[in-house]
Amino acid sequence: MVSVLGGRIYTRRWRDMAATLVESGALGDSELDRSGAEEPRGEGEEDGAQHTSPAGGHSRLAKLPLSRIKALMKADPDLSLASQESVFIIAKATELFVEMIAKDALVYAQQGKRKTLQRKDLDNAIEAIDEFAFLEGTLD
Amino acid sequence: MAERPEDLNLPNAVITRIIKEALPDGVNVSKEARRAISQAASVFVLYATSCANSFAMKAKRKTLNAGDVMSAMEEMEFERFLPPLRDALEAYKKGQKGKKEASEQKKKDKEKKNGTEEHDKSREEEEEEEEHMEEEDGENEGEEEDVEN
Repeated sequence: MVSVLGGRIYTRRWRDMAATLVESGALGDSELDRSGAEEPRGEGEEDGAQHTSPAGGHSRLAKLPLSRIKALMKADPDLSLASQESVFIIAKATELFVEMIAKDALVYAQQGKRKTLQRKDLDNAIEAIDEFAFLEGTLD
Repeated sequence: MAERPEDLNLPNAVITRIIKEALPDGVNVSKEARRAISQAASVFVLYATSCANSFAMKAKRKTLNAGDVMSAMEEMEFERFLPPLRDALEAYKKGQKGKKEASEQKKKDKEKKNGTEEHDKSREEEEEEEEHMEEEDGENEGEEEDVEN
């Protein structure tokens, strides 16, 4: 599914993938919140700076597990190979995204004189903020 | 894909921590809001990957690299992310370099100990991945994850 807008080609495939994954319940289902110990054991892959290496601990640079990020990336049939750095950068960007959307949604909670962020605050932020337009219609 | 669907979630505890650290003390987040943010984050990964991949494909490369992701961020109008991402990438590269040097040193030490090189052949494969990590320009033969397609 490719559309051409103003000379640039947009593939909407990621949107279809997102829709499929959200509908199937693969995204956003409440996992058992095992307070931090959530990563399945056996994730021995190159998690990059995720864990302290035997070479002697350098602090973890990414909070999100690179293996999980990579698994998501692999959902894209167009993707052949991804360097470890690219996975790391996407992980980092995702953290920044989470921070940003949480802060932007908070504004709406505060407008409603609430101290608890609610789903509708997210929806408002998504509607109002251009950068979040890609989320429209993708969440449950 | 061998992953079970639930493996595609980003870990709740981590998402929650990131949210909490971004917001002032005393602010709470409802479960539904947290879930929505987690979903949004996953969608973000998909969108970013797709965008970055189109840059790689345009450059006729099969391997996505960090530069593609940076270009994608601009394309997606998240330029504000670029400075912290660049810093993080620098730190990451340094960390990886340290690891590589350490594992090479380990190898050397081991060779001295064993006096043979054969022993290390099996380890070489493991370390092979790490050795090529910094080669980011163009094709990266090192650690690529071969995505079945």
